[in-house]
Amino acid sequence: MPRLKRSRPILAALLLAATLCLCGTVQAAVDSPVAGLPLKYKDYNIVLVSFDAMQGNHVHCLGYPKDITPTIDAMAKEGFNFTQNISVASWTVPASMTWFTGVYPSEHRLLNKYSVYEPPVEVIANLKKLAPQIVTLAEVLKANGYATGGFTGDAGVNGVFGYSQGFDTYFDQAKFGDLTDSAPRALEWLKGKKDKKFFVFLHGYDSHGQCIPKKGFDRRFVDPNYHGKYTGSAQQQEALREEGLAKGAINLSDADVAFWRAIYDEKINRTDGRFKKFLDGMKELGLYDKTLFVLTADHGTEVYEHKRFDHGFTLYDELIHVPLIIKLPERNLRGIAIPDQVSSIDVMPTILDLLDVQAPEAVKKQMRGVSLVPAMRGEPIEQDAYSETDYRLYTFKRSIRTTDGWKFIITMESNQKELYNLNRDPGESKNLIEAEPRLAYELEQKLYAHFAGIGHDLTKEKWKTGLSPVYPSQAKGWKKK
Amino acid sequence: MKRLPFSLVSTLAAALSALVLTSSPAANGQETAPPALPRYENTNVILISLQCLRPDHLGAYGYKRNTSQHIDALAKESVVFDNAISQANLTPVAQMSVFTSQYPRVNGMVSFEVPQDRVSKNTLAAILKLYGYNTAASISSPEFFMRYDSATGAVVSPGDVFSRGFDYYGRTRRGLGGRSIRKVPVGSLQWLAVNKDKKFFLWIASGLIHMPYAAAVPAADRVIYDPPGYTPFWKKLPLPKSESAESADPSYEVFSRVFRNDFYLGFAPVYHLTQADTDYVNARYDAGVAYTDRFVGEVLKQLDALGLRKNTLVVLQSIHGEELGEQGNFFHYDVTDTVIKNALMIRFPDGEFTGKRVADQVQGIDIMPTVLNYLDIPVPHEAQGVSVLPFLRGEQTAPPNEYAYIDRMPWWEYTLSKWYLEFKNNQGDYFVPAEKEKLAAYQKLIAQRFNALKAPPGDIAIRTNEWKLVVRKNKPLLDEVSWWKFISGKKQPVDEVALFDLKNDPLETTNVAKVHPGVVSRLKEKLLAWDGEIERQKTTYKKEDKYLIIPYP
Repeated sequence: MPRLKRSRPILAALLLAATLCLCGTVQAAVDSPVAGLPLKYKDYNIVLVSFDAMQGNHVHCLGYPKDITPTIDAMAKEGFNFTQNISVASWTVPASMTWFTGVYPSEHRLLNKYSVYEPPVEVIANLKKLAPQIVTLAEVLKANGYATGGFTGDAGVNGVFGYSQGFDTYFDQAKFGDLTDSAPRALEWLKGKKDKKFFVFLHGYDSHGQCIPKKGFDRRFVDPNYHGKYTGSAQQQEALREEGLAKGAINLSDADVAFWRAIYDEKINRTDGRFKKFLDGMKELGLYDKTLFVLTADHGTEVYEHKRFDHGFTLYDELIHVPLIIKLPERNLRGIAIPDQVSSIDVMPTILDLLDVQAPEAVKKQMRGVSLVPAMRGEPIEQDAYSETDYRLYTFKRSIRTTDGWKFIITMESNQKELYNLNRDPGESKNLIEAEPRLAYELEQKLYAHFAGIGHDLTKEKWKTGLSPVYPSQAKGWKKK
Repeated sequence: MKRLPFSLVSTLAAALSALVLTSSPAANGQETAPPALPRYENTNVILISLQCLRPDHLGAYGYKRNTSQHIDALAKESVVFDNAISQANLTPVAQMSVFTSQYPRVNGMVSFEVPQDRVSKNTLAAILKLYGYNTAASISSPEFFMRYDSATGAVVSPGDVFSRGFDYYGRTRRGLGGRSIRKVPVGSLQWLAVNKDKKFFLWIASGLIHMPYAAAVPAADRVIYDPPGYTPFWKKLPLPKSESAESADPSYEVFSRVFRNDFYLGFAPVYHLTQADTDYVNARYDAGVAYTDRFVGEVLKQLDALGLRKNTLVVLQSIHGEELGEQGNFFHYDVTDTVIKNALMIRFPDGEFTGKRVADQVQGIDIMPTVLNYLDIPVPHEAQGVSVLPFLRGEQTAPPNEYAYIDRMPWWEYTLSKWYLEFKNNQGDYFVPAEKEKLAAYQKLIAQRFNALKAPPGDIAIRTNEWKLVVRKNKPLLDEVSWWKFISGKKQPVDEVALFDLKNDPLETTNVAKVHPGVVSRLKEKLLAWDGEIERQKTTYKKEDKYLIIPYP
């Protein structure tokens, strides 16, 4: 796959300078594989797919050595593969709503399952209640004549949170359901939509720790010599997650970690296979060539990279670096990998731009991200990515990931700061906060300025940890203070 | 749709791009702009902080006496702020607000003695150090010595908070037969000579103007403004035998016994001060100002001699002012304008903004953001002040601060309860027997009323250029523990809410709260909202924190 060469800012300036000096004008890149394409798809269909909990590093077209995602890779080959796509959050509830609103979790306020959790008072978080002024992507598309259907695996994207806002139909009846639950219902709904433009949100928990293949694992990637105690069950993963949260770290043998990674590979591989079936169904319905696809994930999964399991509680790359692939209706297009950093905050403006939908002024003002269409045309984009998590009130973390490969994470309740050089230390193992105090200082100011700029001055909040359960089992620990 | 701009940090990137642009062959023959380096690359900073300096005792602010020809000359080359307001009436409290750009309760420096680890660490010096500055301090205010002397490595007393972020922390010493440690910090001149080639931040803090007035001024200069034939009144009184009683220097030991022009001894007003007495005090105070001014002149001359003027930002500030008998009181006990209104001038390199006079109010907490902003360094998010640069550049028409907020915590009495009275009592010759009898009870009373781990409720004030509103948050407590009550032997009630018309009554002699109830309610609402927010953000101290005492000679 040809990579469109992206340059660092200084090189970009040099290039620009040279161009200016030699030609007096900026020339468009001549070898762009999309030259001549309109990149405007008025009245085309759009399918937004969330492969829940799919870590970017486990996707073959993002560099994973194992060929476990052939369907996704094939779409990337024909499309735009944003190889540095960063999610605004590290778990489903806050992360997913950003695609639908174009705002950060701090603004849409779906920060936890409950907006109030003080039994007997339990208030489920809901977009309309928490951020009534916000308009969703589905609402905008519906207003523009789209049929809107959401087909999900329930749980974190249940309609009760406001995820169904703007959808004509919204399936959320299979708890931690996978694509075998949601995709057939989507295809069923799509029957008879041949002459109607539509927006489908397709979601499945296939890669998620709480989702197990209905007929069990076939252990296709597991070392046959593994004889450890783990089976890959949802209960085991939950127990590992909770142990990690309670102790700060767990202790697994290399063989155990390899086992869990193989199980995760199987889940991803199955996700990919089920998605292929959905695409086949689209093709059978004759809809495939009139449809744009946006494939992404709400967050990744931690498989012991930082000695814990699952997701939500940190902002390391295994949780926020996720795939983002845009496939245009044109077939056999030569795909492009775009290594510039982008964010899930950009998804909504990009979709509206591609579909040539004029959003109301209020919505344009609402959206914090940018359309990625210029990037698809070959223009470099340079933007820092911001992420946040208030997972279960267990922790409050905010991060900035810079275009030149630095990440600064601050844990608000303890004021603990971390700085990583992702170029040299992609595993985020060496905290450089003491070694690079000036950079840390600048990134901290930038991070605070960002949140102040979206109306959430971090200096003005009290960060009180507590318990706001996501899973029923966690509610047991709740005690009135 | 928008991303947040972050112009300050991107300055460097912009500068680098500019460099790249200029180094490209100029094939089109056009001149490209010279590279604009961020200012922190080559700008020095000198902060001159003067204790107890009243702006209205400087020629630059209209004083009749010729006390300040060098500061006046500096003012002519600077932006001069006519209403620069201190965050507090005590030196370490007010200055930590300058260094952290935070209100005292937020930065944690609410007294002379605080648990050091609770005090905000993002100080001006610490931030400048991140940007490659050599940071040095040359100080003669003992309030700042606090314990650690990095010049010698000697621990004066553990727990310094002000030396944080300084590579060099030099201080004056009493020396053999020296009268006071509050000399002018001449070490700064030598430091400049030695370090002229380094990029530096030099903090020069002088305590010379502080009581005892002019004590460290050479004898000949000390008396230059003395009224002819005047004998200090305390020399005619039956004072307990002490060094201060014998000295002609107006000292705290004498003037802490003066309340509303009455001098108290043994709980009785034994003498009423006359205008001649006040004139003498002012004369000695002014001698200290004049001597300090000469020192400031030396510093500026040294800068010129070393060729540093062109790339050195010079900030001169009062840390706070002083009561000089305007209401019959002396020292800096309360939040009158005499105490909290400061001299402030900034001389920018290249004569930028020269001659500008700013009548709009600014606060101590604005100094750090302004300096950082000028140097192209991002202002820390903890900062509660604002840069006045956009205002100076005409990008903002509104004044930076319509409202200033001031804290006066009854730490005065708190400090007395802790060690000062004991220290004085141990000297054996400061209190008369009747006072000594009641001293222990007084100390006990304050200690009981002020829980050591909790800041006592204090007095707060809001100021505009027209009004000042002072609210005593716990008036009964204040009335009870007041130092004035102790020395006078009777309660000296203060008004719970006082409003002063600064335009018509700049000396704040008349409480007009009853005349302007609308103004009171408007300002009170603002003040209490601020106070509530500060209480929410304030530093909390913990049981295990160590409170270390700062020597207060």
